[in-house]
This record gives sequence, structure tokens and C-alpha cells, in this order.
Amino acid sequence: MYQYTAFDQRFVEARVAQFRDQTERFLAGELDADAFQQLRLRNGLYIQRLAPMLRIAVPYGTLSATQLRAVAAISRRYDKGYGHLSTRQNIQLNWPALEVVPDVLAALAEVQMHCIQTSGSCIRNITTDQFAGVAADEAIDARPYCEIMRQWSTFHPEFDWLPRKFKIAVNGAAADRAATGVHDIGIGVRPAADGTALFDFHVGGGLGRTPVVGSLIREGLPEQHLLTYLEAILRVYNRYGRRDNKYKARIKILVRAMTPERFREHVDAEWAHLRDSESTLPAAEIARIKACFAPPPYADLTDATAELAAQRLKAPAFDRWMRTNVAPHKRAGYAIATLSTKPTGVPPGDVTDQQMEAVADWSERFGFGEVRISHEQNFVLPDVPQRSLRELFDLACEQALGQANAGLLTDMICCPGGDFCALANAKSIPVAEAIQRRFDDYDYLHDLGPLDVNISGCMNACGHHHVGHIGILGVDKRGDEFYQISIGGSQAGTASIGKILGPSFQRAEVPDVIEKILDVYVAQRHEGEPFLQAVQRLGVEPFRQRVYADAA
Amino acid sequence: MPTLLRQGGVAEDDWKLLAEGEAAPGRIVPLGAWRKAPDGAGVWVEGDAEIDEIGDEIRAAPVVAVRFPAFADGRGLSFASLLRSRYGFRGELRAFGEIVPDLTPYMLRCGFDAFLLASARDAEVALACMGRVDGHYQASATEPTPRFRQPVAE
Repeated sequence: MYQYTAFDQRFVEARVAQFRDQTERFLAGELDADAFQQLRLRNGLYIQRLAPMLRIAVPYGTLSATQLRAVAAISRRYDKGYGHLSTRQNIQLNWPALEVVPDVLAALAEVQMHCIQTSGSCIRNITTDQFAGVAADEAIDARPYCEIMRQWSTFHPEFDWLPRKFKIAVNGAAADRAATGVHDIGIGVRPAADGTALFDFHVGGGLGRTPVVGSLIREGLPEQHLLTYLEAILRVYNRYGRRDNKYKARIKILVRAMTPERFREHVDAEWAHLRDSESTLPAAEIARIKACFAPPPYADLTDATAELAAQRLKAPAFDRWMRTNVAPHKRAGYAIATLSTKPTGVPPGDVTDQQMEAVADWSERFGFGEVRISHEQNFVLPDVPQRSLRELFDLACEQALGQANAGLLTDMICCPGGDFCALANAKSIPVAEAIQRRFDDYDYLHDLGPLDVNISGCMNACGHHHVGHIGILGVDKRGDEFYQISIGGSQAGTASIGKILGPSFQRAEVPDVIEKILDVYVAQRHEGEPFLQAVQRLGVEPFRQRVYADAA
Repeated sequence: MPTLLRQGGVAEDDWKLLAEGEAAPGRIVPLGAWRKAPDGAGVWVEGDAEIDEIGDEIRAAPVVAVRFPAFADGRGLSFASLLRSRYGFRGELRAFGEIVPDLTPYMLRCGFDAFLLASARDAEVALACMGRVDGHYQASATEPTPRFRQPVAE
């Protein structure tokens, strides 16, 4: 993991002092509400429907056991004893009082954490594969490059007041677990023959009102040019992105208006000036950052295939968990375990202080004290010895973190929705719960196979509904909450945007609609054909007919 | 009362900022007027001005004043960065319009060296803000060497 230098530490502490001063001036009536709003957003603080919400940055979704314990303690002392794992791999607190936020930031700084740029029209937390560095299918570890970009983007003097928020995701594995296709910039990393990295830049992807998959504007950029090329993209966006309408201010609108070809020409013209400037990365700097992500001291283990097979035969629950929640590791004898935060009846991503402390303990007992947060809002333990999986599973079940549903229907992505968020048109958490209650039979869930159900309470799409195999969007119809359903979206590989089935439904109807969609799938699927492929083959029509049959 | 900060301190404003009128020494006027009589006059530009069309022309002016229509409009930051780093402007680069004191440290790094604040209190806060940050990661118009190329001081 990256460890702060003395400079990094001073820098974060200076930010705490700065925010304390801003808060004091605001409370004294010296700083007007509009200015304070923008300043507090850049420190992750929203004023929500019920209380402030503070978003803590977890750079590329990686944190240490010590950091997670600190967050648990903060949630207990300053909040209601729980936190929320977000789709940008961050942790949110839902109830801290404005007056104590500077103290919360100071407590975070003690464990090398902050809330810098977790909201506002600036470069947000850079995300990557939650399995980065350990995934068996990984070609190159994206984390060092994420850290290099994190430093570059932190309080960038020119790019902290962009037309709109700006999200960058990076992926170095065969499967795209970082959803790079639907980011403002999505970067694919692959190794060159000499072991350095090459970057493929996709620009202008995004969800929201205008969902679109990013356009490839640069292939195979050598690693030393990473920052100068980013600088060129951001400068073009800062100068030409629309500022007259917040719904047309994302870079995707600019790329579309210019066309990707013209956008690329603009970026190239700007890059011609910046290329080979001092911001070009020296090999020594890349090596310095890479050293922070060197593999931990793994033991020489062998795969525990026979032992695990015997354990799975004896315990069907463990067998199901192994199938869905355990992923192959780079090293023999190790595995990656996903701890689902989605038991029925709990808002997806919500975790208590006790659960956080338990996860921190397990990360030390069954690993090297490192924890990941996935954009599917689950915890991940990256380095579990295969021989300890059974023990971990039992402990996780005791803490309600042992659901065998990673990647299945009940592992929903869900925004906080109308229960908490001032932007939402409709609630999303009760919809998630109603679906979990309807589909509570593990055998059925496992028979359905991989199924992403994503729920957003409004067009801002924090729940990534467009890229759900089944997407659910809360809409407001004359003051009532309705839900629009789409199918066929995907975040993996070549991302795709789901197609809307038709008129929206009342909340109580949603589980029935999902059931009808699944009935069509089960009846018409080929042997072993996952839901997404079946939708791609069959098209939307048979699903539409079934769902609206009664209305016709 | 509007207060000018220049080179890190409160200064007497010896320039007249005029939205219309003719150019003359000691006046800052919009581009059209400035072109007619540029000698000794300063230029008023909007933050969204196309730098590549005017950079070479205005680089000789003693003062370029960039207006921020809203404090969160970052276009003036790119304009200033480019005017300094690409067009080699050496005169006074002044920010005016909607300036929140807390943003002056960014503006400083983009090459602004003068700020017209809304009040003496704002100017005081701006000076405190500019004094607070002691280092940066990335290169900027005023410091083209990023931290990772600087000798390690810690």
C-alpha cells in the first residue's frame, strides 16, 4: 500500500486547518452560503435531506486495517455507528454534524485519510479493479498509476473548477471490473514488451441523463506521458466544456458535440505543447511509486484443491459462497474473498462499526492487513490463504457478511436514494429490499447465475442503472414515485447501455416485473446461457410482451 | 470597498478598470478599445476568451485583467496559465469579478499576481489563504517543475 511521505502528511493536515477556518468563517456569517457550498463539496461534505453527508476518499478502493478501524471509531463517535460503501469505492458517513466535520477530518488525517475532492466539479477519486495487484487475470497492476494520478490531480490549480465532476477509472485486467467504458476517462493499461505500461484512453463515457460508452482517442500511450496527456485532455475540457447547463456540462457532451475525431485533434494539438515537459514521468518516479505496491511477503503455499473440494461437499452453504464470492489469486494457495454487504433488509453498502472492525481483524488474520472496497459496494479481502477460507466464511456469516450472492441478483448496486439524498426523485433502498425479500431462495439465485441489478433514485445514476443487466430508475410522475426498468446493460468488457422496457411502474409492482423478466429468461435460455447473453440474443421484445401482457 | 492585492500585499490601485470607453495610459479597457490605442493601456478580457487568437497580441500589455463571471468558472485559470507559460506574458495579471478569497492560492499558481477583492476583509482572508499552503504535487504556470523532479527536502 502507498504510505504517506512527510510531505503528504503535512499537505493533508494543511487541508484540515483550511477547512476548519472555512467552517468557522461560515458559522460566523463571514463566508456566504454559495461559496461555502463549493468549498465544503471539495472536502466531501454535502448537506443532505436529513443531515450532512461526509464522503471519505478511499483512493482506488484500497485501505489498511488501521484505517478501517479508524473509520469505525469515527462512525461511533461522530455518527450513528455505521457507514456506507459507495459505488466510487469510497466510504460515506450519513449523519455527522457540520460543526464536528473539521474534527472528523483531523481524525482521518491521523491515519493518512482525507475527503479531498470526493465531490464538487473537480477530478474525483480515481477508481480501479478491486482485485488490482492480486487478480489471476491481471496483466498489469493499475494501482501505482492511480496513485501517480491521485497526486497530480490533488488540488490541481487549473483543474479544480471544471464544468462538472470528472471521473477517471483504470483497468489492468482481462475482465473490466472497473467499468472503464462509462467514465469521463477510462484507461486500459497493458504491458509493453519491455515491462513498462501502455495506456489506451477512452474519453466521454458516462451515465446520468445521457448514458454513453467512451470513445477510444489514444491507443498505446507510453507510460512516461501519462500526466502530460491527461493535462491536455483536462485543458481542452476546462476551456470548451459547457457551463451554461449542468446537464450538458460533462465531457461526454463536449466529445459528442465536437465528434471524437475533432476532440482528439484538439487534445493532440494541446499535447504537442505539453509533451516532454517536466511533467513527463521519470522512470525513477514510476519505480518509487511501484515499490509501494510491491507484493506482500507471501508464504510458499500450494493450492488446497482437494481440501476445499471435501469442505464444499460437506457444506452446501460454503460451496455456494465459494462459487460466487471467491475469485482466483495470482499466487498459488491464496484466494480473493468478497464479503457481501447485502443481506436482505439492509441497505446495500451499509456496514456497522462492528462489521468494519471485524473486517479489519480478518484482513490481518487472513492476509496482510489490507482491505478493498468494490464499486459493487462490497468488502474484499485480497490475500486469503485457501486453507483459511472455510474459517473466514464461518466468521463472516456470524457478522452477516457471508451472503453467497456476489454477482447474483441480490448483490444489487443501489444509491442512497430518496431516504437520504436531496437529489433523488424516488427511494431506492426499499426497492432493493423488496427484491431481496422476493428472491430469497439461494438455489434459484444460483440457478439464475450472474445478474447485475442496479438501482438509481434519479437520473444522476449513482446506482449505475444504465449498465445493470436489469436497471431500475426512480422517476417522479406528478409527485409520485415510479420506476423505469431497462434490460441488457453491461459494465464489463465492451460496456453497453440497457434498453428501457416501456412505461414505468409503481414501487409495489417492481418485484413482479423482475419475476416476469426472469421467467422469460428461464423459459428461453439455452443451456448455460447467462441472462445478459440471452437478452442480447432474444432482444427486448419477448420481455416487453410478457411484462406488459396484462396491460394490453 | 474593493481592495487590490498585488505581489502579496495590499496595494494602491493605480489603474482604472473600464467596461467601456477609450484606451489611455492608466486605463484597463476591453480588447476592442485597447487595440485602437494600446500604448500604456491595460486589457480587460473575459475568462472564456480564446487565448490562441489574442495571446501574441496582448503579451506586450502592461496589465491583463481577467474577469471571472462566477467564482466557480475555471476558464480564467486556463487562460492565465497559458498566457504566462505559452505566451510568455510578463506584465501584471489581474483577476477581478467574482473572486472568493479561498480561491486565490489556485489563481496565484496559474500566474495571477494581482487580485481585486470585494472588501478589505476579503483581502485579509485572501492573504491568509495564500500564506497557508506550503507545497504542491503538480507543475503549474509559476512552478513548471513538479514535486517529483524536485530535490527531496524532507
